[in-house]
Amino acid sequence: MSGSALGAHVSRLGAAVGYPLATPRRALVTAAFAVATYCLLVLSTFPTYSMQMLGAGPGYVDDALLALTANTYRTVGGTGLGLIVVYAVATGVALTTTVARVRDAGPTGARSLWSVLPGLVASGCASCGAGVLGLLGFVGALAAMPFDGNLLRLGGIALLVGYLSRVGHPRRCELAPTGDEA
Amino acid sequence: MDRPDSRLTRRAALGGIGTVLASGGVIYGASRLDSGSSESTGAQFHRSTESTDFGIDLQGHPIMGSPDASLDLYYWSDYQCPFCRRFERETLPELVENHVRTGTVRIVFIEYPYLSEASMTAAVMDRCVWRQVRDEEPSRYWPWHSAVFEAQGEKGSGWASRSNLLDITRQVKDIDAAAVDTCMWQRGREIESSIRADVEQAATFDIRGSPAFIIFDTASEAAGKLVGAQPYDRFETAISRIQNA
Repeated sequence: MSGSALGAHVSRLGAAVGYPLATPRRALVTAAFAVATYCLLVLSTFPTYSMQMLGAGPGYVDDALLALTANTYRTVGGTGLGLIVVYAVATGVALTTTVARVRDAGPTGARSLWSVLPGLVASGCASCGAGVLGLLGFVGALAAMPFDGNLLRLGGIALLVGYLSRVGHPRRCELAPTGDEA
Repeated sequence: MDRPDSRLTRRAALGGIGTVLASGGVIYGASRLDSGSSESTGAQFHRSTESTDFGIDLQGHPIMGSPDASLDLYYWSDYQCPFCRRFERETLPELVENHVRTGTVRIVFIEYPYLSEASMTAAVMDRCVWRQVRDEEPSRYWPWHSAVFEAQGEKGSGWASRSNLLDITRQVKDIDAAAVDTCMWQRGREIESSIRADVEQAATFDIRGSPAFIIFDTASEAAGKLVGAQPYDRFETAISRIQNA
């Protein structure tokens, strides 16, 4: 990749990350997506436990989230937990920009939904995969993953960042990324 | 043209700072969530060579509580599992106080080493310690069990290595660490194979992680399963439900 192409990617990434913070409403929607993603990932690290706790009533949601956050920290360390948070935030940004693109560009923008999926799935699998694999009978799957799954999490985040650096600002023409806002 | 881009750059920088702060906050909060320590239970232990009607062979397993308790609580755990430590610190003391010491429940400790090879080392040592104390003074098992959970470190950090576990054992009163070491050399393979059989049996109960519990009423043969370090009131509810089944 040439220097100018790399510069364009960095510029588009900055635009994509900056877009959700342009208005309080977008920031709130992005935060909501990020929090929902974090909750989903953390709860899915131990699905049977989460199902029992949530099945016992909504009053146990906070208990389950706190217990599994502490468990995740003790299991995969600060790095692993940090990667999950970064992934959740990146997902929030990606979903907000994708929704904006779909709303503004219609069916053409809808294709962006498909392009964001690989990153979401890859990193999501790394974050919650051990729990889901355990549910399927692959006990100790986390232990088998390189760096307790952190490498896969990092790979997933890289895919998401790659997606954001490719799409850039959702309200700018893809063919003229340096043009004015639509 | 410059102004929007510089605004975006500032926003992107703000987003980056926000993400770092959010990560730091969650990590710091998570590191503070697991503080505290387990208390001494004061409950009695006993051994048994019987098999329960649920299908658990009690041979080799530490059992806390009265042999005549109406409910069995089978408890699968891994010494490297942080969730098990959370259960031992936050829920077990209350469970022991309200149900084990009163004679209603007895807890059967079953090793479920699945996180790494060191988990198996700790599990085998657990069995060796139990073999040493089970005949004369079985309650001596508990200080060792608690000491190992209290010493729990990060998985893969070496805290559960054989030498470190033996160091922990030397610090526990009334446990002969040299005899434990000998037991591991001489009986290690045999014990390991019996632990593997326990892990396989756990799979037949659909147990896929730890801690896991099955509450079994020895009279009515009603049973229920709890998974993970659930709060005490969830155990209270499950016990009542099984008693009234």
